[in-house]
Amino acid sequence: MALTGRLGLLALLGAVVPIVWPSWWTLAALWGVLLAAVALDLALAGNVRALRLHREGDTSVRLGGTARVSLIVENTGRRRVRGVLRDVWPPSAAAGPRTVRLDVPAGERRRVETTLVPTRRGDRQSVTVTIRSRGPLGLAARQLSRRAPWTVRVLPAFPSRRHLPGKLAKLRELTGQQVALIRGQGTEFDSLREYVDGDDVRSIDWRATARRRDVVVRTWRPERDRRIYLVLDTGRTSAGRVGDIPRLDCSMDAALLLGALASRAGDRVDLLAYDRRVRARVEGASRTDLLPAMVRAMAPLEPELIESDAAGMVSTLMSRVRQRCLVVLLTELNAAAIEEGLLPLLPRLTARHLVMVAAVADPRVEEMAAARGDLAAVYDAAAAERARAERRRLTAELRGYGVEVVDAPPAEIAPALADAYLALKAAGRL
Amino acid sequence: MTSTLTPGAPQTAGAPQTAGAPSAGEGAEPTAGQVARRRWRASRGVVAVVLALVVIAVILAALRPESSWQNLDPQSASPGGSRALAEILRQRGTPVAVSRSAGDAAERATATSVTVITRSERLTDSDIDRLRRIPGDLVLVAPSRRVLTGLAPGVQVASSSFEDTDAPDCTLQAAVLAGNVDFGQSDTYEVPPGATACYRVEGLPRLVQVRLDGARTVTVLGSSRPFTNEYLDDEGNAALAMNLAGARASVVWLIPDLPDPGSASGDRTLGDLVPFGVKLFFLQLVLAVVAVAVWRARRLGPVVAEALPVVVRSAETVEGRARLYRAHHARDRAADALRAGARDRLVPLLGLPRSAAQDPNAAREIVTAVAQRVRAAGAGAPPGAAQTGTFSTGPDGRLLYDEATIGAALYGPEPADDAGLVWLSDVLDDLERQVRQS
Repeated sequence: MALTGRLGLLALLGAVVPIVWPSWWTLAALWGVLLAAVALDLALAGNVRALRLHREGDTSVRLGGTARVSLIVENTGRRRVRGVLRDVWPPSAAAGPRTVRLDVPAGERRRVETTLVPTRRGDRQSVTVTIRSRGPLGLAARQLSRRAPWTVRVLPAFPSRRHLPGKLAKLRELTGQQVALIRGQGTEFDSLREYVDGDDVRSIDWRATARRRDVVVRTWRPERDRRIYLVLDTGRTSAGRVGDIPRLDCSMDAALLLGALASRAGDRVDLLAYDRRVRARVEGASRTDLLPAMVRAMAPLEPELIESDAAGMVSTLMSRVRQRCLVVLLTELNAAAIEEGLLPLLPRLTARHLVMVAAVADPRVEEMAAARGDLAAVYDAAAAERARAERRRLTAELRGYGVEVVDAPPAEIAPALADAYLALKAAGRL
Repeated sequence: MTSTLTPGAPQTAGAPQTAGAPSAGEGAEPTAGQVARRRWRASRGVVAVVLALVVIAVILAALRPESSWQNLDPQSASPGGSRALAEILRQRGTPVAVSRSAGDAAERATATSVTVITRSERLTDSDIDRLRRIPGDLVLVAPSRRVLTGLAPGVQVASSSFEDTDAPDCTLQAAVLAGNVDFGQSDTYEVPPGATACYRVEGLPRLVQVRLDGARTVTVLGSSRPFTNEYLDDEGNAALAMNLAGARASVVWLIPDLPDPGSASGDRTLGDLVPFGVKLFFLQLVLAVVAVAVWRARRLGPVVAEALPVVVRSAETVEGRARLYRAHHARDRAADALRAGARDRLVPLLGLPRSAAQDPNAAREIVTAVAQRVRAAGAGAPPGAAQTGTFSTGPDGRLLYDEATIGAALYGPEPADDAGLVWLSDVLDDLERQVRQS
């Protein structure tokens, strides 16, 4: 039940009545009339329980985009339902409009549109739908909250997808460059063609030449169907904000670009999000389904404020993949976490796989390192210099284990990772 | 003076352009003027109402007759007082007794006295009752409505006038003798039949005399001006006042003090004085407020709680370390970090292996290499510029470093003070730049 402003106004205007007839009876009569009107209104208001709620609309939206969700209100009762409706969503769903006027005659249905502009990644669930059904006099209303479940999954924004065409062009260049006459570990036989001047004589296929009149050379191309395993570290180091977004979101962006690129290049891409247990996993997705699957898996991921368990991560990885693959570990070059967690396990991992570590550097540290002028700035610079030295040392240490390291600020990490992948591919090291 | 300032002129001329550019852009921040205009538009109604209230208050205050506690006091010589009249009456042989309370006046009044009642707004109902029973004539000077109904039955305030001088136009001896009288602002009255009415304005008199019980008269004067020191000598004011007040053998001049608090009608509380209907009105107002509160208090749906993401800046540890350095004046560590960073960046530029940067044995080699490159960069610098621990400026204005300074910068001891640390950071930057440029 809810009262309306009209009742308050009437009560206010009614204050004049006892001045004209000063008696307790006047007041009693006044309130008797008002309360009777309220009771009548409540009795005649449309029944909220008789409403049926259905939903339809978007189930997912990219972060920064707009999702539309419709609520269909069907009145199965005998009386018209008139009043207001509020579709209640969590604040970060930024749902609008807040309240909607509702007028559903008996036996009819109405559609209520809600627009969501989510401000954060993850699943946004409708909390409830509150309906206030006003009586014919407009003095009182019946109010009830009804469940009308709906979930909108807010997907990562993937801002680095603008880099994809450029990287794909590079990739085509690479695969078109089948004249890569050097035979490497990650290359496979492509075709035979006639010898032209300038070709390496070592690549002449003598057996084929013997069968034909011309001299024939073999060509090679980067091997396809290699396996790439993306590992997202969702532990405490992923929670730190670089600029204004969590490091995890930058890592996701880079992983998405790499995944899109690698799947176009014909490689198989798997994803694992891990801190102390598996948070998300995408395995064996087809080429066309890979990106949607990755995005769906990443959407609900949140940084956990716990130290990542590198040993668990490595053993999970080892048990999942038998064949040689490129393991891309998206984490942070944090001395404590890497030295105590990952480094002792690296030999096991590198023995079987090619490992690449991608870390998002904080531009704030660069900014501090360049600071000069007063004493505070110089101390800032010294601290930043020390942090950078630490990073360089870790990078060198990791490279010593044969690990590729990509360390770039958030704006560049995605293209830098893609470039590193393309370089590996070109070198036939996959 | 102006000519020396000309180098700065382009800057100052350029400044308004750059400052003006964003304001010209669409959807930019509104300028202060726009904000002020918007606020003015929003609030001008309120301002107008407040101004109107002030103007009305000022006008009302100006129109209100000036009243002081001394007015019409026969012992006061102030412009509003009545000492002059009292003195003249005494000189003419009519004793004037001043009463400060109704009881006192009632005791003094005799059948041959005239009781002049002034400042009658201070009289309580019981005072008026007592005055109604006193013998002799009454003169009511600008009486309040309460006093008028109590003491001059049938006379009612009709309106007020501002016309100054007027002829009496009646048969009342005192008025006829006085002739024109300056009333100033005055009440006018409606009179009962049989009363004498003088000094009419639009048919309504300002002086009324009513006869009670045959012998007693009650004279009502709409203005106090003829009795005051200031206006006593205007027109026939003095004559009228003396004729009215000195008509009998003696004068009792009642100018009541303010009644003592609570003395008037005893123990009636505010609650007794407020009519029952008004009480019910307020009760109903409270109930209405409760109804409004119930209306506003009812939420349309629940408050939704949501887990918020962790906000930890990634550079927080680095910033924390910087603050620790600063708090403890850790110049040694800060200098080490700066030097190590500079060496790390210098070594590849010099063509030395990266490992040399942190190798103390390679110190000599690095310093020599840096010195060569710096000297090469500062071509034409005199070789004698190398002095111990100091540096001089080359012909192109750049600092020239000798090997000792470079050594001190890259491997030296901890700076002695904070200024030394800042200097060190600048020297390292400069060295790095010169090596890059060479």
